[in-house]
Amino acid sequence: MKISLTWLKRYVPIEEDAATLARDLTMFGVNVEGIESLAPPFTGVVLGRVLEVKKHPGADRLSLCTVDAGGARPLGIVCGAPNVAAGMRVAVAVEGAVLAGGLRIKKSKIRGVVSEGMICSESELGLSENHSGIMSLDFDGKPGVSLEGKLGQSEYVFDLEVTPNRPDLLCHFGIAREIAALYRRKLVLPDRFELGAGGDFNLRIESGADCPRYTAAFVDDVIVAPSPAWMQNLLKSVGLGAINNIVDATNFVLMELGQPLHAFDRDTLAKDTIVVRRAKKGEKIVTLDGVERELDPGMLVIADDARPIAVAGVMGGRDTEVKAETKRLVIESAMFDPRLVRDARQRLKLETEASYRFEREADSGIMMDAAARACRLIQEMGAGTPSPACAESIHDPRSLERRTVSLRVSHANRVMGTELAGDDIAALLDRLELPSRSYGETVHVSIPTFRRDILEEIDLVEEAARVYGYENIGRDESARCSIFSEVPAEDLRKSSLVDFLVSRGFAEVVTSSFMDPADAGRMGWDGRDERAGPLRVANPLTEAQSALRTSLIPGLLGVVRRNTRAEQEEIRIFELGKVFLPGPERAGLPREELHIGALFARHATPLEWMAPRRQSDFFDMKGELEALLDRLGLLEEVKMMKPHDGKGQIFQWLLGGAVLAEGGLIAKGVSEGFDVDSPIFYFDLRLDELPPAGGGWPRFEAMSQYPAVKRDLCIVVADRVRYAEVRNIIMQQAQYLDSIRVFDYYRGGHLGEGKRSYTFRLSFRSSENTLDSIAVDREVHRIVGALQRELGAALRTE
Amino acid sequence: MSERPDRFGVDEIAERAEKAFAEAADLEVLEEARVRFIGRKGEITTLLRSIGSLPDEERPAFGDLVNDLRERILGLYERRKGALSDGAAEEDYFSGDPTLPGRRALSGGRHVLHQVLRDIKRIFFGMGYSLAEGPDVELDYYNFEALNFPADHPSRDTQDTFYINRDILLRTQTSPVQVRYMEKHKPPLRIIVPGRVYRNEAPDPSHASEFLQMEGLYVDRNVSLADLRNDVTYFVRAFFGSDAKVRFRPHFFPFTEPSAEADMSCFACRGSGCPICGKTGWIEIMGAGMVHPHVFRNAGYDPDAYTGFAFGLGLDRIAMLKYGIDDIRRLLSNDLRFLRQFWAETAGEVFE
Repeated sequence: MKISLTWLKRYVPIEEDAATLARDLTMFGVNVEGIESLAPPFTGVVLGRVLEVKKHPGADRLSLCTVDAGGARPLGIVCGAPNVAAGMRVAVAVEGAVLAGGLRIKKSKIRGVVSEGMICSESELGLSENHSGIMSLDFDGKPGVSLEGKLGQSEYVFDLEVTPNRPDLLCHFGIAREIAALYRRKLVLPDRFELGAGGDFNLRIESGADCPRYTAAFVDDVIVAPSPAWMQNLLKSVGLGAINNIVDATNFVLMELGQPLHAFDRDTLAKDTIVVRRAKKGEKIVTLDGVERELDPGMLVIADDARPIAVAGVMGGRDTEVKAETKRLVIESAMFDPRLVRDARQRLKLETEASYRFEREADSGIMMDAAARACRLIQEMGAGTPSPACAESIHDPRSLERRTVSLRVSHANRVMGTELAGDDIAALLDRLELPSRSYGETVHVSIPTFRRDILEEIDLVEEAARVYGYENIGRDESARCSIFSEVPAEDLRKSSLVDFLVSRGFAEVVTSSFMDPADAGRMGWDGRDERAGPLRVANPLTEAQSALRTSLIPGLLGVVRRNTRAEQEEIRIFELGKVFLPGPERAGLPREELHIGALFARHATPLEWMAPRRQSDFFDMKGELEALLDRLGLLEEVKMMKPHDGKGQIFQWLLGGAVLAEGGLIAKGVSEGFDVDSPIFYFDLRLDELPPAGGGWPRFEAMSQYPAVKRDLCIVVADRVRYAEVRNIIMQQAQYLDSIRVFDYYRGGHLGEGKRSYTFRLSFRSSENTLDSIAVDREVHRIVGALQRELGAALRTE
Repeated sequence: MSERPDRFGVDEIAERAEKAFAEAADLEVLEEARVRFIGRKGEITTLLRSIGSLPDEERPAFGDLVNDLRERILGLYERRKGALSDGAAEEDYFSGDPTLPGRRALSGGRHVLHQVLRDIKRIFFGMGYSLAEGPDVELDYYNFEALNFPADHPSRDTQDTFYINRDILLRTQTSPVQVRYMEKHKPPLRIIVPGRVYRNEAPDPSHASEFLQMEGLYVDRNVSLADLRNDVTYFVRAFFGSDAKVRFRPHFFPFTEPSAEADMSCFACRGSGCPICGKTGWIEIMGAGMVHPHVFRNAGYDPDAYTGFAFGLGLDRIAMLKYGIDDIRRLLSNDLRFLRQFWAETAGEVFE
């Protein structure tokens, strides 16, 4: 919200410069997010010295002045001010100057005498409302120097962040009240017209719950004209346009006191009536912005005897607005159910300064004062004659009473970490216009209507802490550590898995939780696959972000696409993150599973001189997944399977009965759908299927101190036999096997059709003695025998 | 011999030979040097020929002297030759060009956000905080109502929300875990809660629709605002450097009271004002406050028996500040050229 420094000074003396005030307000809890410095609202005004004053030959009240304004010869200027005198230093608007309010100065004849400029009052320069006489400057300098930026104070506008609990700060007077508390200064109340209830008018409120208060003030003999320059300047400085004196006066009160007002042209009201009621179904209104809006019974309207004339708290209607020919006014100052205003604003998509404040609950005690203030301004401008009696409806008079909230001194100190006495706390609260009295342990505080946010003890503790100053609340530099940190083992495992993958050359990525629902089709998930039916967001930003991801893979494919475009040649990435599966969980929330997704794309190795470069392949993927499983101690417990639906390129790794991971080649069609080059390999590991983490620390086992004996074994088998079967038999048969590696694999060729061979290097070792070759031979013999018997294998000799 | 003047310049020749051999970078140059000194037409032969100009009685001694010199130079030559030959054998280890690049496996690294999270967790674990987590898809109750955001209240407008349906939403903050955790644990408790949160706002350089947040919560019998300031200050100094200053400004959050926003002194200009801190010398880093009694009641705690504080910070923002990242959207862009920049060993260090 914008707040003008000049405007603030109407209610509280401020000597501090803008930067100091901004800092102090911020530390007081009124966050100043920016300071804007506005240029003074005039140009072409220079310092002049009055050399001579003579009577105007044609008009008693006018003087003919000779003024040195720095030019080659003095200027002749006609002046109407009573206080002009020879020797005065004055502000002269010379030909071409533009004054506050947009007035352009030209050479002109005034009652037959040429005037070559204008001697300015404060009002004409937009510095104040004072137009009783010209300004006398005590300003050193040569006649002719420009006064831009030198007169009065240049205007500063603060951009304030007002939190939703403090609607009382949505106006200049409210901010002035904080400044008065901050600096312990006296507040000056703006003048009000003497307004009382009892006006005779047909005002009907259908529901006191919908509209707890309504005040209608009346103004006759209205003369609609532009408002004075000072008012226009202040309104412009906070971003409001000048419209006419009546509307400007209501807007001024809005920005001054925070109460939205609306002026109706009384002569346009059918049967001189105002009704506050729910809209009828299908009823329409053209609002001030010229848009026709359809209403319904969920919305509250102001109506006359025939039709709605305003959407309550949101915007007035065009038919009844103040126009040039308007003669009589009804000024509305009311309070509406904030939920109705909020609802109407949302449904009409029409946020206004008024709706913003009504939603945050206006001060229930200010209706009459705000109307009286507008009447006073209208009267001062000569824009109309207010009636001393207004019409008023108050649903619940108790809402105007002050409430009392109490605070326990000991509790306040406990929360703040202070040792303040009850009187100290009462004095702090008093500064905020919260009259307080301390009775030993208890402080009783009388809460004014403008502080609707203070409902209970803790609210007072905050106010006391704020005035006392957060920065004054002691800071003991030694941090306490009274509770022992417990980090879940799952989290530690997660972190070490990430470290492990990073050490294997993976780049960790973080992708969006959202998914394009069309990705399910692109991935080729069929209807039975729960990943195909992602949870939808009811109000998404874009269609591509309208579902929650059921898999990490689509997002990772997006990362490959991006990095392929960035010409990254080796792509080995993983993400550890949540996926959201709409399966049943308590209270209708989805199942959130933690996965590791990894992709292998483009080259598996850097471009190097010593070996040919390699594309990422299936065994890159499988090797890394196995390394991960090995780290988890599960490599020997996990079973690799082809899923039943038989998509050829994808495998599953089962632990117990559950799928722990899947992985393989991203089908070519899928790659194409995501606009990435094939082949890409992936694995997707479900962390929630792992056994509970923190199974205990590894236990040391003594290593064998005897040497190992190595044997290479080349086994030829039929083409249908798999490595895993061969390996299993070797593992079963061997007694002293220390390690087993396959280091050659060959199919067809000189072996003949339908054959393949695996060459193993077996290492045997005993923990009890040195194995002799007889023992090893016996071991190999047994292995080969079993392979022949069970797989029809042959031993091939080099 | 050294006692006598070097009558025939023998020592001088030996020194020159040694120097020439040492300067020979390869066997070819060494061979040239050998021929120059002890070859058939070399300096030694020339020196020996001068024997004819000596008186007879000096000739045997001179002959011995020259032979000694030849042996000495030959020895120097052999030693140098050995050294150069070994070197030639070593050359096989680097294929003749040791300046070729070494073999390197792919390097990996953590995502910068998770690196920041890990560094922050370490600090809080060291202070006695434990870890808690909660769901991303959350009940309206935990995200708003239990945290003292009434339905249809403008305070909800400060957090634009993605809804799944009327009761279920994507959490806008990690704070719902406060109530979830308190429902299941008794005080004293001291936790941090990292997690992803969501806001329904159009992304721009400083706003993302999803980002990483971390909540802190400490509840015990006498936890005060002063304790909050201690912990926040300790964290900021541990993470950003021991000379960082922290200030608290009053603010509003529905679920804390008194509430505050914490600023730290700008690490770039040390408080004198620069573009990073918007010339204020201060950088906003977190929201904080004393747990509101309503929140305690909603969690089943007696607000007269316990007090507590909570704080929340945006890790994306912290990462952006720490590493000078200009646009929050880069954090989810996953451009490897971006990610690699934060893999340096110094990335986790405190700025001193």
